[in-house]
Amino acid sequence: MNIQDIQKNGVTVVQFSGSIDALTAPAITEHLGGLISSGQIRLVVDLGGVDFTSSAGLRLLLGAVKDARAGGGDLRLAAVQPDVMKVLKISGFTNILKLFENVDDAVASFG
Amino acid sequence: MSQRFQITRAAELESLQMFRDFIAECCAHHNIPNEIVFELKLAVDEACTNIIQHGYKGMDPGSIVLAFRIEPDRILVQITDFGHAFEPASAPAPDLNAALEDRELGGLGLFLIYQTMDNIDYQASQDGNTLTFTKYYRP
Repeated sequence: MNIQDIQKNGVTVVQFSGSIDALTAPAITEHLGGLISSGQIRLVVDLGGVDFTSSAGLRLLLGAVKDARAGGGDLRLAAVQPDVMKVLKISGFTNILKLFENVDDAVASFG
Repeated sequence: MSQRFQITRAAELESLQMFRDFIAECCAHHNIPNEIVFELKLAVDEACTNIIQHGYKGMDPGSIVLAFRIEPDRILVQITDFGHAFEPASAPAPDLNAALEDRELGGLGLFLIYQTMDNIDYQASQDGNTLTFTKYYRP
């Protein structure tokens, strides 16, 4: 699991690549938590390089989006791959998270 | 015609990727559709994570035995561990329609197994705990 941050128009784009499971989730949770606690609450998570997520990924996204919104920001998803999209849909996460086809659209959505 | 596969790994989080890779490798030889392979990886990952985080809690980590049989229209999966017994049906289902602030962080793993697999059964005995499920597919 690789994690990389890019700043675009006042939005922090967090790129993951690899698989999200109970082993890799804690490092991602810590990373997102660090961004949010430092005030970076306009977040786009680029899932273009993520080919697998278990419920561990859902839990960390839920926790992070709650924290970001509590501070007046948001966490939005971009480039979700079909298998990961299926997990998001089954678990009802497509109703609570904003999803975009690509990073640029997700960044632009923050206005 | 069917073929059986089996792998035994330590009940630790580092084994999750090995179980998923093993499933992908075995299915690749049988032209199993990609979406079926993904659902199998997901269900096995969730079941093994529960065993690692809860089944062996307070015990020395033991092993997890993953066995499955590929048949022309279905895949039968069996996961055995030797930790504490856990009845999957006793776990509460998540409320998918709850507002964001009311969504709980837990309960999703078993839910995903029930949503993607068929014929789910759980047996606990002195010889170990065995979770079995079936995935039907169109070849």
